Amino acid sequence: MRSGMGALMRGVVTMAVALFLNVQANAAEVLREATIGEPPPLDVMVTTADVAAVIGRHIFETLYALDSTYSPRPLLAESDRVDEGGKTIVIKLRQGVLFHNGKELTAADVVASMKRWGQFGARGKLLMGNAVSVEATDRYEVTLKLSAPNGAWKTLIADVNGGLAIYPEEIVSKAGAQPIEQKDYIGTGPYKFKEWRPNRYVELEKFDRYSSCKEAGDGFAGARVANFDAIRFVPVPDVGTRVSGVQAGDYDYAEMISGDLFDQLSADKSIHVVRSNAPIFGLFFMNSKEGILKDNYKLRRAIQMALDKSQAQRVAFGPKGLWDAQGSIFPQGSFWYSTAGTEAYSQHDAKKAKELAKEAGYTGTPIRLLVSTNYQAHFDEATVFTRQLAEAGINVQMMVVDWATLLKMRAQSEQWDIYVTHHGFQPDPILLTFLNPTYPGWWDNPEINALRTELTNSSDQTARKAAWEKIQALFYEQVPAMKVGDAYTYDIASPKLKGLNPNGPAFWNVSAK
Amino acid sequence: MWSYALKRGGATAVTLVAASVVIFAFIHLVPGDPIYILLGDTATPDQIDALRRQLGLDQPIIVQYLRWAGHALSGDLGRSIFFQAPVLSVIADGVETSTLLASMTMIWVLLIGVPIGTIAAMRHGSWLDQCLSGAAMLMASVPTFWVGLYLILVFAAWLGWLPSSGYPSIFEGGIANLRYLILPSLTLAAPNAALILRLTRASMLDVSREDYVRTARAKGIRPWQVVRRHILRNALLTIVSAFGFTFAALLSEAVVTETVFALPGIGRLVVQSILRRDYPVIQGVILVVVVLYLAINLVVDLSYRLLDPRVELQ
Repeated sequence: MRSGMGALMRGVVTMAVALFLNVQANAAEVLREATIGEPPPLDVMVTTADVAAVIGRHIFETLYALDSTYSPRPLLAESDRVDEGGKTIVIKLRQGVLFHNGKELTAADVVASMKRWGQFGARGKLLMGNAVSVEATDRYEVTLKLSAPNGAWKTLIADVNGGLAIYPEEIVSKAGAQPIEQKDYIGTGPYKFKEWRPNRYVELEKFDRYSSCKEAGDGFAGARVANFDAIRFVPVPDVGTRVSGVQAGDYDYAEMISGDLFDQLSADKSIHVVRSNAPIFGLFFMNSKEGILKDNYKLRRAIQMALDKSQAQRVAFGPKGLWDAQGSIFPQGSFWYSTAGTEAYSQHDAKKAKELAKEAGYTGTPIRLLVSTNYQAHFDEATVFTRQLAEAGINVQMMVVDWATLLKMRAQSEQWDIYVTHHGFQPDPILLTFLNPTYPGWWDNPEINALRTELTNSSDQTARKAAWEKIQALFYEQVPAMKVGDAYTYDIASPKLKGLNPNGPAFWNVSAK
Repeated sequence: MWSYALKRGGATAVTLVAASVVIFAFIHLVPGDPIYILLGDTATPDQIDALRRQLGLDQPIIVQYLRWAGHALSGDLGRSIFFQAPVLSVIADGVETSTLLASMTMIWVLLIGVPIGTIAAMRHGSWLDQCLSGAAMLMASVPTFWVGLYLILVFAAWLGWLPSSGYPSIFEGGIANLRYLILPSLTLAAPNAALILRLTRASMLDVSREDYVRTARAKGIRPWQVVRRHILRNALLTIVSAFGFTFAALLSEAVVTETVFALPGIGRLVVQSILRRDYPVIQGVILVVVVLYLAINLVVDLSYRLLDPRVELQ
């Protein structure tokens, strides 16, 4: 008995020593990124979830890529030519680019990817809706014919997020409408898919035969060099744990840190704060198809007039450095920045709002505001606005649901009057969701349709900018949605990471030395 | 005992079927749709319909249930909509984490709760008892996410002794990976050890008032022997029941701790799957949890007999 106890004690001591030993057996250099949660399937052409795009951008590539000023530059494309007043686009591909399965990229892969994107891709209709044909006119040449010119064509095919990611022909043809399976996550990127362990991580490994652009890396464009042997994207849902994890050295990079920690972390020498250069913005969509707000632009303007957007943003995002209450859809510094219509952005005049609502025939009927608690900022903004609207005599009834329910309910026009979401930064107005007449909100009338055509069908940027200014003015007149304001998210990184990408988490060209 | 085990097994099967019907009905009654999560917010109606057909979600609920139950009977719980992997493998990974986490927690609970509860009972009414009971109340009242975040801050971020979060499987990194579970198991142990401590103290106090304890003391048996052989042994029945339920609850309800420590356990898996409406995973996990609860319950009942030969199992 005594010797048994002794053996047990020895065992316990040995195990304790083993547990506390800092085991660092792996020689491979692995970058560990703490993400906010598990991504949906990485079929980036179909999904618009940022968490999927961040991972997918390392695996899949596009014909063009956005540089640090969000202008498209060739990536898989080498050059292009536009004929027939913009109706024919000929793209020459770089030669010698290999997929992760060893096959060379050819025009057939691009054509097949373009066809699937046009049919099922999240943003595919924006370009391919007017496509007459798309053909491989040479082994490395693709010709796209359109029924009307599209001034934003290059931008539309310059990012993987719901965009034209290039997959091998055989995979993309087989998939059709269904999400691409994990075993078929094959792209041309500097990292290839290795494995997905549910709730543990998604791991990518360096693609040794990657064929890089010659131009210097700039934003997502230019040369891509994989300095790490592998990248591990680990879902860490709690923000406090993401922060402690980077401080402890368990993660090299952590996404989406909350505003209340911004000042504290900015002063912390052991952490590098990476503020996004591209703001997201909250959007309150109005129902243009059905209900009390349909065609009642006066009532919509009354609602907007009652609001103080700064207050909502202060509550939702915290320190002033993380938000900007300004009404232009695009931030200052962007080519598309404009003040057209923005005087109506945040007037916070309850008295005038009340009068305007009365003129609009409003009699106190509850306005149903659909909001989800999955995004704290959405809920905070909705709460502040509901109170401000009550001051103006506008009766808002909040319907609080989870995100999955909201996605389903917002597609049913009889279920809501306003719903809350947010919009990521876009390089071109054509990518804004509220301009899409089929997107829930359904802004679809002759005025906007004419302006949309004007914006899309011109390839002259000055004419397009003029069209965009008219659209923004109409946005404030008809209020198909209300912009809350610009919010700058931020991530944190270990100070040893060098060469972080200004456009967001992309870890090619990043090194730990 | 065997006929008892068989009877219990039969009852377990009935409970399982009832549970599976309830699970299936409830999860399909909740609004929301996995298709939107899967395809993103710009999916077209055609795309949504096509995927719904492919996943069989366009069928009447009864048909969907029978199809699922039929496959489940042959051991196939289907494929996760979200992970595109067999539900069984997704759950197996979670079960490993949750079982190890719950076991490690129970070791702390056993090491802290029973001895300290015994001491508190033996020193009943003294300042030591007051202090220990007060400490137990404090441990039980502090929220687990707070304890977890502070343990991470001190032991991972400041001292760097232990990893802050995650858990790589012991089948891949060896037994040393158990160090990832030290902080979360301590976090979970705090309130549960307090519970067991209070329970041990209370049931020992009850037993110590029994006649046979007085007789044992009158016979001149050493006080420690009286505690060990007569009081603790008889108080164990209540403690073992609580142990069983605590262990079962830890397997499936450690969601907050699993979230704070980013552990791939089944509690977090089921919550995430509900948010994503990943029906096959939700159904699978809950079914596995029900089976685990029933199994633990059965083991607890059978252990009564081992602890106290007077107990008859019928």
